[in-house]
Amino acid sequence: MRMFLAIVVCKLLRFIGKLVGKGSSLPGQYALKVCPDVLRRVKLPPYIIAVTGSNGKTSTVEMIASILRAAGKDVVYNAEGSNQIEGVTTLILSRSSLTGKMKGDVLLLESDERYAKFSFRYFHPTHFVITNLYRDQLTRNGHPEWVFESILPAIHQDTTLVLNADDPLVSRFAQGHDPEKVKWFGLERCSISTDTPRGVYDDGQRCPVCRGRMVYSCYHYHHIGHYHCESCGYHRHEPDFAVTELDLKAGRLVIGGDTEIRLSFRSIYNVYNILSAWSVCSLAGVEKSVMASVINDYILKNGRMVRFALGEHHGVLLTSKHENSVAYDTNLDYICATEKPCTVIILVDAISRKYFTGETSWLWDIDFDRLSCPQVEKVVLCGKYVNDLAMRFDYTSVAPEKIVCYDTAGQAAEALKAAGGEDLYVLTCFSDRDKLLSLTTRED
Amino acid sequence: MELTLLHLYPDAMSLYGEYANLSVLRRHLEALGVTVHLEKVTCENVPDFTRADLVYMGAGTEGAQKAVLLGLPHHADALRDALDRGCLLFFTGNAMEILGRSVTDAKGRTWNALGFSDFTTVETDKRTPGDVIATSTLWETPTVGFMNKCSTTSGITTPLFSALPLGFGNDAEHGAEGYALGNILATHITGPVLVKNPDFTDLIIRRLFAAKGWSLPEQLPVLPHEREAYAVTLRELQARLK
Repeated sequence: MRMFLAIVVCKLLRFIGKLVGKGSSLPGQYALKVCPDVLRRVKLPPYIIAVTGSNGKTSTVEMIASILRAAGKDVVYNAEGSNQIEGVTTLILSRSSLTGKMKGDVLLLESDERYAKFSFRYFHPTHFVITNLYRDQLTRNGHPEWVFESILPAIHQDTTLVLNADDPLVSRFAQGHDPEKVKWFGLERCSISTDTPRGVYDDGQRCPVCRGRMVYSCYHYHHIGHYHCESCGYHRHEPDFAVTELDLKAGRLVIGGDTEIRLSFRSIYNVYNILSAWSVCSLAGVEKSVMASVINDYILKNGRMVRFALGEHHGVLLTSKHENSVAYDTNLDYICATEKPCTVIILVDAISRKYFTGETSWLWDIDFDRLSCPQVEKVVLCGKYVNDLAMRFDYTSVAPEKIVCYDTAGQAAEALKAAGGEDLYVLTCFSDRDKLLSLTTRED
Repeated sequence: MELTLLHLYPDAMSLYGEYANLSVLRRHLEALGVTVHLEKVTCENVPDFTRADLVYMGAGTEGAQKAVLLGLPHHADALRDALDRGCLLFFTGNAMEILGRSVTDAKGRTWNALGFSDFTTVETDKRTPGDVIATSTLWETPTVGFMNKCSTTSGITTPLFSALPLGFGNDAEHGAEGYALGNILATHITGPVLVKNPDFTDLIIRRLFAAKGWSLPEQLPVLPHEREAYAVTLRELQARLK
């Protein structure tokens, strides 16, 4: 009876919410008050796929949904990004019959790293994809090992873990888990691999299990690569699903030695997103040909990459979460792969759109030296924290005469509009991007 | 004029931009005509403190800190000898806890620390990351920064900051924070605290020069953007207080 009431309350509030344009958490919140364990009582679809990790959750979930739908499956997922328990409850109950049976073949959830343990208290995923763990939003997350400890209680013994074999911290989730229920994905040594770490810091130096010294036979980016610990033997697992060839410049990768995929977005992130989506969709029984047809030239539709015009310039805005140096580094690599002369604009005004912080330590973790290349002719720094940015650049190899500073995005845009026609690349966060985009003409 | 700055265990104790504390300090010292030797000691190496004028250790994860607690106390005597001959110890984040008598983790297991002071630290399963404004005891201007900790530290009678108008101190909201006695300066403020606080950098420079018996110019070097960046962060954090 309580379940029935909870479902009615949720559906009713969701209906009203949609009329008045309110968010998706509230109906679930009230439903949980009526019946706290409603998610245990509802009959869920045969596949429940969850995705968590520091980066790539939303993109991966969207790719998985596209593939599964192309394979004819009815997929329900939290496209609105409500990835805490209340939002998940709203999603499930609004798709459930009054007798408590959820419609659909697959429930697909983007899961917040810190809240997964609450979401999965009353049910658990059949498949749990964990993409990566690295320095991300210390103001909320503390540090990667703290996030690891937060995710751990969300893992049920019956869940099949789909893990990034190349991330030593993510791989630790397999410890104590039935090996039959762990599937690995990874990137074999390829054109982008290096023998030494790149970047300002190296989080792969110490073993996450015993703190001994780790040795890498190759690095793909940051601490993602092929590693083993000299002290305890902890090591990368052979992947069940592997990218066997990769040519980022040509926009081409090969999965499992036989399936070639064209990349519309030539970023290492996209490679891992594709591979993790491929892995879990394979496990859900989707044919290779179906997956390949969806992934080929797959274009992200989540607004992380926006094309615009400003005066005579054409530009690309790359959303790089502030407080996430790996995201910045990856986008810096993307910019440096360009061969045409360009100007790079970095805007740090509000560090987060969700909370206040004045924390700028993360700027010192970004490898801005990557902009010290001939095609980057100018670097425009702007926003409230322009002085922090300028100071950071004083400690890079980027020539001082290339750097121009403005207090606001508006001043920067005005100056750029007035002169030149070179390509522009903007690096900023969701919190700040509209401050610049609103002054441009969208070209997407 | 030559100074040796020793960065202790950067391979383990580096949470967010810690290295930049030494980058900024080095640049200020070089502006004063000092030749700076920056040495990094990783966990595999036996630290040699005999040449060090400053030993720095930054914040690490709780796990990394425990690994340091297993190893570093073996070198406590050598570190104390360095202190006695005038070497400055500057520990930030949870490296500060290593200076005390012990650290007890969230499961109740206690680890012996260096014992340079009698304070003790207890970790909890709650983390309180947040912005900080701190009232300094050793210089005029407020200090700004960010703290990312899951512990309380008790028994400190000589804090570096008398109060935290914004943030959680050693063992209380708004309470005193850090530790300062003799040649030891420590704060739980995480990351590049010197980058954000030029007056804090100046204090360390004064200490380093005093230890060497060198005279300082009346006006210490002011490097571009530092004061402006500090002013913006202080303004933003103070607005938060209101």
